[in-house]
Amino acid sequence: MPISSATIRAVTASLYERSLKKIPDDTRAVLGKASERETDATARRTFTMMLESADSAARNGQLVCSDVGIPTYSVKIGTRVQFEGPVRQAMVDGLADMAANIDPPILKMVTHPLTHERSYAGKDIPIVSFDVIDDADYVDMVCAPKAMGTGRWEAVEAFVYPTVEDVEKYVLDVILRAGSQPCLPIVVGVGIGGTFDQATRLAKEAVLRPHGKPQPDPLLAGMEQRLLDAINQMGFGAMGTGGDCSAMAVNIDYSASHGFVPVAVCLNCWINRRTAARIHGDGRVEMLYE
Amino acid sequence: MSRLHELTLPLSEERVRDLRVGDMVTLTGAVTVSIGIPTHKRMAEAVRKGEALPVDLNGGAFFHLSTYVREQDGISVPLYLNPSTSTRYNAWMPDIVRGLGLRLVGGKGGLDDASVAALRECGCAYLSFLGGGLPLLSRALRGVRSSHWNEYISQFRLLTLDVAALGPCTVAIDAHGASIYDNLRERAQGRMPDILDRLRRARQAT
Repeated sequence: MPISSATIRAVTASLYERSLKKIPDDTRAVLGKASERETDATARRTFTMMLESADSAARNGQLVCSDVGIPTYSVKIGTRVQFEGPVRQAMVDGLADMAANIDPPILKMVTHPLTHERSYAGKDIPIVSFDVIDDADYVDMVCAPKAMGTGRWEAVEAFVYPTVEDVEKYVLDVILRAGSQPCLPIVVGVGIGGTFDQATRLAKEAVLRPHGKPQPDPLLAGMEQRLLDAINQMGFGAMGTGGDCSAMAVNIDYSASHGFVPVAVCLNCWINRRTAARIHGDGRVEMLYE
Repeated sequence: MSRLHELTLPLSEERVRDLRVGDMVTLTGAVTVSIGIPTHKRMAEAVRKGEALPVDLNGGAFFHLSTYVREQDGISVPLYLNPSTSTRYNAWMPDIVRGLGLRLVGGKGGLDDASVAALRECGCAYLSFLGGGLPLLSRALRGVRSSHWNEYISQFRLLTLDVAALGPCTVAIDAHGASIYDNLRERAQGRMPDILDRLRRARQAT
């Protein structure tokens, strides 16, 4: 049975709305633990407010943040899946449905990059990356609305034969430059190698990795732990007003590369918006995480 | 030692000079908000030309808070409230602070050195609101007092809201020129040689 455009449209709308109204369960747990360990009184109080805010939004169907960002989706299509009707247009239509029906209404955040005109839609919106999963009969969709608080501080730089030390120093420079600006504690995604576009894609996929998912590569696992410790030693703290926890996680991935090695750093704020669903070939929809 | 202040607007300069970095405050009364860059440009331009704004901000508060206002049976109902990053308004904030008699500004993430100088000179403080704090902050909403420049989209308008016990928010830049953001950035930069040294040792240990 093919997957219908109506299903794609409904899942597109549903993932976006869910991501705006509830922080992920794993993120709630990490913030709770960080709050218990926090030694700075203002940061401890800020954590308490964060948790109360997140819980209130989930309980009452409120938005967590008014900056609903621009819609970004990662779609991975099983090679055994068949579609009935358009996919890309169904996603555009799903977002229009969401903007028309969500309660409370959302602010216009989709902005023309040159005229600054604002809307709920625009050229190439939603931003979608498509990939395939060999021999699967399902589609996986991850939705991650991207707002200015963190988007403004993300960065990419091309190195030539960098050492691990060079890469680690660069990541710390990006975080130091962001300082108190993003809504901390953040999740940091790092993409190393491939090409310019691949490094940024890796960083984006990395920042969305569920918390606690093992990093099997010992080289990357070591970098992740070292960088997490280093960022938290900086002391920016919750909401950037000082404290022990500036980052919840550092997630790294790499692709084989040439001598030139792009390194991209992607950030997610404390509400860490991401939802994911699997649309099975028989039309069933399963929430993967939220 | 952090103190909690329950402030009622408008405020005297003396009351604001009593606030210190790290203190927390709640606010009751009228606050004016906008996150529009066109709004900031227009406010700064009015100051430079000596023209009055449609709302008197003397002794008042102007925050980088975004809102959605719904018209219901001819009444404007503010549905929510949440901060935006302030640094993108750095270019206009010194004029706005100096020209309008403001006692409080705020949003999240702080302001630059030129703005901090204007805050110190004028007896005005900067408040850090909780980003992603929409459910908590919105509880304070009591109504719309006035709305100007309504040709802009909702969050860009010059909107004055009635609030009760808005916050708590953190005094992040006080009226004496002390800035949490400057302190933390300098401290982090100062720590970097040690952080990099620890990273090097941790790498060598693996």
